[in-house]
Parts: sequence; C-alpha cells; structure tokens
Amino acid sequence: MQDLIVEGSGSNPAIRADWEAGCVEMKGDSYPENAFELYQPVIDWIESFLARESRPLRLQLQLLYLNTSSIRAMMDMLDLLQGAHDGGHAVGVEWRYERENERVAELAEEFREDYTFPFDILAHD
Amino acid sequence: MEQVDVLSLRAAFIQQGIMLCFNGPFSAMLIEEIGQALRKHMQGLQESQSAVTDVFSVYIELTQNIRHYTALRALEGADAHATLIVSRSDDGRYVVSAGNVVLPADGDALVERIAALARLDKAGLKAEYKNQLRQPRDPSAKTGAGLGLIDLARRAHEPLQCSLTAREGGLAFFSLRVVI
Repeated sequence: MQDLIVEGSGSNPAIRADWEAGCVEMKGDSYPENAFELYQPVIDWIESFLARESRPLRLQLQLLYLNTSSIRAMMDMLDLLQGAHDGGHAVGVEWRYERENERVAELAEEFREDYTFPFDILAHD
Repeated sequence: MEQVDVLSLRAAFIQQGIMLCFNGPFSAMLIEEIGQALRKHMQGLQESQSAVTDVFSVYIELTQNIRHYTALRALEGADAHATLIVSRSDDGRYVVSAGNVVLPADGDALVERIAALARLDKAGLKAEYKNQLRQPRDPSAKTGAGLGLIDLARRAHEPLQCSLTAREGGLAFFSLRVVI
C-alpha cells in the first residue's frame, strides 16, 4: 500500500500516512467546505492498514481548528481505531498542542472521552 | 439607484462597532481570505488564542452553512448572497451576525431549532452535540450533519438570536446573531 501525502493549505491540514512506519500525521487547520472529500482517502488508508497489518498504528495530530464537518470525519477515523483496539490491535493517538491554545485541548479532550484506546493530549510551549 | 453615501455608511459602522462586513456572493476562497484577515486583525489586538478561535470558528460555521444551504436549495444571483458582519458590543464582546435568503419553511424550522437550543444549558448543549455527532451520516450530504448550529450555540456567550422576515416573491430573509 502506498503512502498518502496531502499538502497543507489554509483550510486543509498537511496529511502524511506512512505505511512502513504505521503512522498517520495531520497538522494544521482543517475547515474545508467538504471535509469528506479530503478525509475519505485517509479513512480508506486507515481501514486497509488495520485490515492488512497487525503492526501498531499511531495517529500523530497537531490539528488546530476543526470545522464541524472535519470533526465528523475525525470521529469516523477514531471509530476505526476503536474497532481495531477492541479486536486486540495496538493503536494510539497523540495530539500535541500549544499550551496557550486551550480550545485545542478542549476539542481533543471531547474526542478522548468517547474512546478507550491510548489517547495522549500533550501540551508544548 | 441612490448614490453611495460613504460617509454615512462609515458613521453607521463606527456607531455600531462594526469591524468587518461583507455583502455579496461568498466563494470558498473568499471565506478563507476574509477569515485569515479576521484572525490576523484579532491577533493584532492581542486577543487570547481562545477568543480568536471562537470568533473564527463562528465565522466559518456561519458562512459555510450559508454556502451549503444556497447550494442545496439552488438559490441563484442575489438570493445566493450572504451578509456577514463582525462587530463589538458596548461591553467589548465580539458579535458575529449573518443573514441570507431562505425558503420560508426552512426559516421556520431554523427559528424553532434555535429556540430549542436556547432552552439548553452548557451540559445539555454538549449532550445534544454528542448525540448529533453520532447520527448516521448521509453519504451525499456535505455538511457536518446539523452540528453547526449546536457548535455556534456552545461557543456563544448568550443564547443565539435570530430573526425571519418575509419578502416579496415567496422567499424570506433569515439572520442569526452570535455573541461570543
């Protein structure tokens, strides 16, 4: 399976899914008008990784602002991780944010409370 | 057409604390550009990151909602235009107001929905948000499944206020005011 790379822009985060490393990175703001157009390939990539590999999958996020349709798409990705976790697959999320940007921490926290896999929210200065 | 009276428009803007306003056809590109300008302006005013995010997010949800709606109802020309105003109230709060043309039945449904949201407290709004997030998604729907209004209500400092005005020709004008 190929790596997936999406260049970031004002309203799209930079996305990099690395098959070899078992890692999906997303960084930046996310408020495209049609979030599913942007995220469907990422959702598909995660789905095939979890289906074909037994290696761990990590999501490394440095997302800032998400519009509601991006939030909905993110939930679909995290639901896939939860399903894998329930089946014994090692998965985890690491969400990094700037300490003073407390809205990001609140957003990440609202996601985390719905899941039981390892989900770290890490502040940096 | 009456001549544009810049001076009296300017006086009205100042008197009503209007920082930014737009009236016309919104494109995705324009939404992004104006949003970035709004963010930079607020950062220049040394506002907290949270305040900047809240105002920006309300601006994005309002304008994207209008874009999705006008596309859904195939409104065209001036009926697809949006009015967007960012202002500051006398007590220093940011206020984002937006308006657009709607079908009267859609307007009535919105007014009802906003009244229902106004009855919820913070915990109630959060529960409603999580509930809406879990609703099955229509694969052809582009929007955040009705999450937008709840998100606006959650970021607002006071209940959302809206108005619906009937217009000639069977359409109506809906406007929403979000105090942050």
